[in-house]
Amino acid sequence: MITVVGLSHKSAPIEVRERFALPADRVPELLRGVVDRPAVGEALLVSTCNRVELVAAPRAGASLEAVASASREALSALAPNAPETALYALTGGAAVRHLFGVAASLDSLVLGEPQILGQVKEAYEVARKTGTVGSVLHRTLARAIRAAKRVRSGTSIGAGQVSVPSVAVDFARRIFGDLRGRTVLLVGSGEMAETVARSLLSSGSRLLVVGRTPEKVRALAESFGGEPCAWAELALALERADVVITSTSAPGFVIEPGHVASARKKRRGQSQFFIDLAVPRDVNPEIESLDGIFLYNVDDLSRIVSESLLTRGREAVQAYSIIDDEARSFDRWADAEQATPLIVALRERIRGALKFELERSLRGRLRHLGAPEREALDTMLDAAVNRVLHEPTTRLRQAASIGELDTLPFPELSAALGHAFALDSTRAPGEPARSERAENGSQPSVPRSSAGDLDAASSDPHAAELDATLELEPSDDAPAGIGSSR
Amino acid sequence: MDALATVAFYLGVIAYSAASTLFFLDLARQTAPGPRSTWGPRVLAAGAVLHAVHVVVASLLLNRCPVESLHFGLSFSALVAVAAFLLLRRHANLDPMGVLVAPIALTFLVGAQFVGVDLPSEALISRPLLVLHVTANVLGLGIFLVAGAAGSLYLWQERRLRDKRAGGMASRLPSLDALDRATHRLLLIGFPLLTFGVVTGAIFSRELSTFAGAALARTLFGFATWFLLAGVLVLRRLAGVRGRRAAYGTVAGVLCVLIVLVIYVVRPGGPGT
Repeated sequence: MITVVGLSHKSAPIEVRERFALPADRVPELLRGVVDRPAVGEALLVSTCNRVELVAAPRAGASLEAVASASREALSALAPNAPETALYALTGGAAVRHLFGVAASLDSLVLGEPQILGQVKEAYEVARKTGTVGSVLHRTLARAIRAAKRVRSGTSIGAGQVSVPSVAVDFARRIFGDLRGRTVLLVGSGEMAETVARSLLSSGSRLLVVGRTPEKVRALAESFGGEPCAWAELALALERADVVITSTSAPGFVIEPGHVASARKKRRGQSQFFIDLAVPRDVNPEIESLDGIFLYNVDDLSRIVSESLLTRGREAVQAYSIIDDEARSFDRWADAEQATPLIVALRERIRGALKFELERSLRGRLRHLGAPEREALDTMLDAAVNRVLHEPTTRLRQAASIGELDTLPFPELSAALGHAFALDSTRAPGEPARSERAENGSQPSVPRSSAGDLDAASSDPHAAELDATLELEPSDDAPAGIGSSR
Repeated sequence: MDALATVAFYLGVIAYSAASTLFFLDLARQTAPGPRSTWGPRVLAAGAVLHAVHVVVASLLLNRCPVESLHFGLSFSALVAVAAFLLLRRHANLDPMGVLVAPIALTFLVGAQFVGVDLPSEALISRPLLVLHVTANVLGLGIFLVAGAAGSLYLWQERRLRDKRAGGMASRLPSLDALDRATHRLLLIGFPLLTFGVVTGAIFSRELSTFAGAALARTLFGFATWFLLAGVLVLRRLAGVRGRRAAYGTVAGVLCVLIVLVIYVVRPGGPGT
């Protein structure tokens, strides 16, 4: 299981959050420092303008509390004077649910915003390249991303636009399609109008700026890379504009139906989109009666934003049930994974013993056998071990995930098996058992990648699908874990 | 051969039905706008291929050129409409138009089965001219059906924008500009065909002296269509009339075309009676 330690827009104001902000090039260093701590096996950092969260998994035998404590120490070092209470710590199922919710944008400042999923993927990628992600975080992130995609495709959490500029751009696209090469006319100035203009310009439009104060107009046009026009040129600018944004402080209408009708004639009937952000209004609403003229004022845009937010809020309920469903599925997988060390140890013990006997025979009575026959015998041994251990493996996983098998609970079953076979099931997959190291150092152990990953894959029928979800290498190439106990 | 035509017909019906459903689902899904599914156009294209196989094989079986029979002509018009749509969507983001084009193709493919195969042979009129007349009408009908679909979607999108409604199906429709351009291009292509069809139709009516009843209504609606669509094109060229009024004109013109077709099919002694 995992821990999440960090802070977000819900727990800390921006003055505190910005002290934890870490430049991208320093993230690998932080992650390496975290996994160097004795308790932490794996770590990744989700760092956006609204949150800094360290997601970590324990090393073999370490407790989640120890991991949370180590994560808290690592993050606190970023902002030594920040209040202790700024950081929250979640462990186990709560951490999993939180991470799934974050990826699905249920914990975002703007509910349903799509960027967070990319940021989570990027956090994973950085950690993977740094080498601080193992099988636990690999699987957890893959599940988180799958949950997020389910939420996005199964609900309307991302439907509609939730800011005035995005609504303006959305409607402009519904009128003009591609906004590249379109001309935007900004009449007057104002924070909102400039933000809307900036959004339209980012889609490839050109800008004309008209205002009563030439210096202001020039400065504004320069800052946007637009073209300044004198107030007297408003009528000419109207003829050139596809989108007109008005935000003057004029007491009455600045644009009348006559202006628009005349411009429309010159434009040979091409559509025009007016966005009136001024109060009192700058554009006479009568222009709406003209064919191909669309007028939205600040109330229209705000109403659309509120409707979208309301819809997203309603959809969040359904989204949380998807997250719960995915988290339960993850819990079952994680529970079943408790059995992995024991299964790996058991497999290695049996395989090692058989191999030892086989090699003895190959040096003795079977020494006449050639390389192909020896290889066939080796393969046969693998198949035999798989066949012998298939049922016990399945039952152990069931015991771990269901909590009991017949009447014997998993801990007792595990202890009994460990005792009977003298197994050390607390070591990481692939790590030689103490008894093997002591008694039979010459015996080759089963490579971790074949034993550990075989088990991981067999316990999770969706492994390949999850890897595809994360758009990663197949799970056999997935990070092997840095001493994770799962 | 017969079996091949039948199998192609049924598979074509299935493909058109599936394409209609896919286009509708793509338009209706309530989730955030994202990349459009390309399955609708693909399935529609598959339907068109099957449709073409059906028309070719069935007309070979009956030893009829497709344009010599209203039965095949109607079916062929739908094929032209699908082809026009598939070509048009390559140049603009017009995929959602499939929500109308696919059902139209399905309706014409199935509807043609209820129309008699034989075209009444008119010994009094020039056979090559008749073939050209039917060909022009078939091609024109196919093109106008797509233009009508684009015009209708324009009016729907425009209404939603005037209502200031975000989200819903309209947010997935093509932009007004794209629909307007598509309608205009289709009218430009279809209008010469319509002109030829109307002129040759008038000549035939005169030669056959059938200026009465259904033939008269057909001729009148034919001219009404011509004037409506000519008006749309001329006003756009001369006065920059486009958008809603052009869309209304186009839809009205296409309705007139359909009325002409209905009159032809249900006329006394016609293939549909």
